[in-house]
Amino acid sequence: MYQLTDVTKLYVKGRQTVPAVRDLSLQIDDGQWLAIQGRTGHGKSTLLNLLGGLDRPTSGSVRFDGKDLGRLGESEVTRLRARSIGFIFQTFNLVPTLSAAENVEAALIPLGVGTAERRRRVSAALDSVALADRARHLPGELSGGQQQRTAIARALVKEPKVLLADEPTGNLDEDTRDEIINLLEKLWRERGLTLILVTHDSAIAQRAQRVGVMSKGQLAVGPPAQGTAGGSAG
Amino acid sequence: MFFVTYLRRELRRRMRQAIFIALGLAVGIGLVVTVTAASAGVRKAQSQVLKSLYGVGTDITVTGKAPKAPTPGSGTSKGGQTFQVGPGGAQVCTNGKCHSAAGQSIDHLGSDSYSPISRSEVAAIARLRHVKAVAGGLALTDTSVTIPKNFGKPGSPLPTPNSFNVQGVDTSHLSLGPLSAGAISAGRSLRGSDATSYVAVVDSGYAKTHKLKVGSVVRIVKHAFTVIGIVAQPQSGSPPQVYIPLARAQALGTALGKSLKNDVNTIYVTADSAADIPAVQRQIKSLLPGDTVTSASSLASQVTGSLSSTARLANDFGRWLSVVVLIAAFAVASLLTMAAVARRVREFGTLKALGWRTRRIIAQVMGESLAVGVIGGAAGVGLGFGGATIITAVAPRLSATIASSTGPRIVSGGGPGAATRSFSPTISHTVAVPMSASVTTAALVAAVILAVVGGLLAGSFGSWRIARLRPADALARVA
Repeated sequence: MYQLTDVTKLYVKGRQTVPAVRDLSLQIDDGQWLAIQGRTGHGKSTLLNLLGGLDRPTSGSVRFDGKDLGRLGESEVTRLRARSIGFIFQTFNLVPTLSAAENVEAALIPLGVGTAERRRRVSAALDSVALADRARHLPGELSGGQQQRTAIARALVKEPKVLLADEPTGNLDEDTRDEIINLLEKLWRERGLTLILVTHDSAIAQRAQRVGVMSKGQLAVGPPAQGTAGGSAG
Repeated sequence: MFFVTYLRRELRRRMRQAIFIALGLAVGIGLVVTVTAASAGVRKAQSQVLKSLYGVGTDITVTGKAPKAPTPGSGTSKGGQTFQVGPGGAQVCTNGKCHSAAGQSIDHLGSDSYSPISRSEVAAIARLRHVKAVAGGLALTDTSVTIPKNFGKPGSPLPTPNSFNVQGVDTSHLSLGPLSAGAISAGRSLRGSDATSYVAVVDSGYAKTHKLKVGSVVRIVKHAFTVIGIVAQPQSGSPPQVYIPLARAQALGTALGKSLKNDVNTIYVTADSAADIPAVQRQIKSLLPGDTVTSASSLASQVTGSLSSTARLANDFGRWLSVVVLIAAFAVASLLTMAAVARRVREFGTLKALGWRTRRIIAQVMGESLAVGVIGGAAGVGLGFGGATIITAVAPRLSATIASSTGPRIVSGGGPGAATRSFSPTISHTVAVPMSASVTTAALVAAVILAVVGGLLAGSFGSWRIARLRPADALARVA
């Protein structure tokens, strides 16, 4: 699925050039669950942005299904994101004026799906995260866990190939955290998704097939763990 | 549908801000509509004034140049009729011949405001390019004075002249000139067959004052004219009071003692189209360099009184006030929209992450701005209608005055070495017109355009920010 080769991402801050990702090479296979850990400011989110086509590498290549995201035009990357990549954010990033159903529906807008089909898919997506009864609620009327489940439904409604989750449980209490991770794991299993999840939480990371640790812009990835969700998912 | 839902929800969330922006635009647009309505009302009033002065359908008016008034002591060398009081008592001098005036009545139909123009010039103007119709006319004043028998003695008062305006009408071109503006309320108007008849049409106001009706007789230079019709001019003021056939006016009228036979002093011209008026005006000026050539627009500049003050107020102050308020409203709308976009950076970053194209997000923001603009525009039109209604309700009648000196000049001196006194009856064309500000289609179109421009302008600043937004940066923003 992903093939990263000698990827470097530099940020210029004033007169300083800060390397967020340095000479990173990585392969992520279809259906794999990769957890990325690391300290704040060591490049985890930058790596996720590069994988999602939200940012372009300064050098090296990020290939997604053979396509170099760094060389694709903006509209092609946008189309790719719309069809194949789902995002989940730590702060949920729901549009506050739209209901849960409308937030989920927003992910289908760029795909040009018809109204009736949109409604059907939104309903199914909310059902899959057990939020069918909260469809008309605004984000402000939902708990943190419900908001994150809405965000998961929004990420999955377009049936993406890959799900990029940036600290999806960072703003949740322990019980809700487990509920969300269990849900993600279930969906990952059922749908054969490629799941790349950034987390500070070692307990969550240990449930992934592979765990990588970002340090100073470089990633050290361990081999697929035995006895993990990934292992059983095969 | 999603577009509308999103737009509606977002406007509801920012309701206070949206109302503030819409109100700002509404005030600006309302001012524009009101000022445009007031301007239209003033233009309409000006048009009514000009029509009442020179008749419907007249594009250009040519008047003879103002004659040089005889100076005191210059006597009657130029043939004018003057009244003098000297050591020999009160005397009337005509063409240099003087005789005692005590107890006498003087009746004079004169064109002392305008010099005569040969009737052949009317034909010459008719041959000019883009001239549709031409008619000559004579604007005269009948002045009668009865000299008291003791006049000239110390302490005696000046005689009081009675005067009224007489308009010589070309009966072969009745669609031009002052008579064309009026409506016959009794009897009939002049017609071609009246060309040499002693018949008159009388202004309704004058007829009421002097208890004239169809069949009555008015005396002009001691000649009896039968009233055949009463005409009501569209506005009150000082329209000609008696209309007689041009040939009769030419036969009886004088200018500085000379007969006006074959002369006119006013020429009414209609151009082929409004666009041709300036060209025709230039041609006539070239043909008659000494005479006054006036179009409706140039005549409007000569109008004094509250009408011209209101026109200046509406056209200058009102217009600039509208522009300033509009610019302020646009600036506030743009700044607030930019601030709103800045607050929604993460939201737009999220939408970009979901695969929304930049132009779709821009369309969403533009749609919101446009909706606010349209709401502001609608409110502005409402305010404009309200403003126009208030102006119409409270505005006083506007007066327009074009002053002209007319009638025979009367010179008097108290005796050898005494100061010379002179006066001449001044007849001003004064018209009072109601000020009615009416919202025109053009004003409504302007309001719609301004609302759309205001909305697009405000949205475009926000859109410019969105277009420059990198999704990764947007998502990194703290909410």
